[in-house]
Amino acid sequence: MGAVVNTTPRRDELTIAASGAEVRRASEWLSATCVRRDIPQAQAQQLEICLNEVLANVLAYGGSAALAAPIGLQLEVLCAAEAGEARMTVSDAGFAFNPLAVKMPPRPNTLAEARPGGLGLVMIRRCSDLLDYRREGGHNHFTFGTRWTRD
Amino acid sequence: MSISYSDVGENLRKIVITGRLDIPGTDSVAAKLEALTAEPKKAVVVDLSSLRFLASIGIRSLIVCAKAVQQRGGKMALVVGDNSSVTMSLEATGVGDLIPVFKTAAEAERAAVA
Repeated sequence: MGAVVNTTPRRDELTIAASGAEVRRASEWLSATCVRRDIPQAQAQQLEICLNEVLANVLAYGGSAALAAPIGLQLEVLCAAEAGEARMTVSDAGFAFNPLAVKMPPRPNTLAEARPGGLGLVMIRRCSDLLDYRREGGHNHFTFGTRWTRD
Repeated sequence: MSISYSDVGENLRKIVITGRLDIPGTDSVAAKLEALTAEPKKAVVVDLSSLRFLASIGIRSLIVCAKAVQQRGGKMALVVGDNSSVTMSLEATGVGDLIPVFKTAAEAERAAVA
């Protein structure tokens, strides 16, 4: 994947309010941007899953500060002839929360053992090739991304 | 977003969900899905093949329903067809290991009524 390192990133940004309807708007924006930036379908789907789960966590656990402030989204795409990388950063004003510090629960072996919650972070980890978190300026900045190669 | 169902005989209920099972989509159909799977049909097949997106909140709803069906001695199975987005969500969570997932409705119905 070293082929994309020296390419110039292309950036797209969106600001949304903290609501379920806005999560859907963000998802639609991401899908359209992925098509425009020529991101392969599988990687676009991975990004969409992660974005929905990150925003759902902000809404559910970010607290009143997260719900009162806009949420910033930045998509950065690096594309070379044979490889690419897309990184999405979600910035919110909620409680400090590092998703990377959360220990993943063991997978249940049976339906009876399964608990309905806690799947969002599992999906984020399994659908991303890179993850990063920083707390800066009173905001959480969580980055997830995906990489691909072309034949 | 839509949810519809049809009953086949005494024991099989087929449910079809279309649209997006994201936050607003799940909010709009979860109660109906739970009501449809709470009724005393032994076998329930939920067809997700025309779903455009499946988030964890939607998977949570499916798990709740599958557990309810199992607790009364029945089985629930999912149909995904060639839907790569829904398949990706189910595989990412491992839910496919807990609720049987099939490409076709016929396979799912056979598994649910077995």
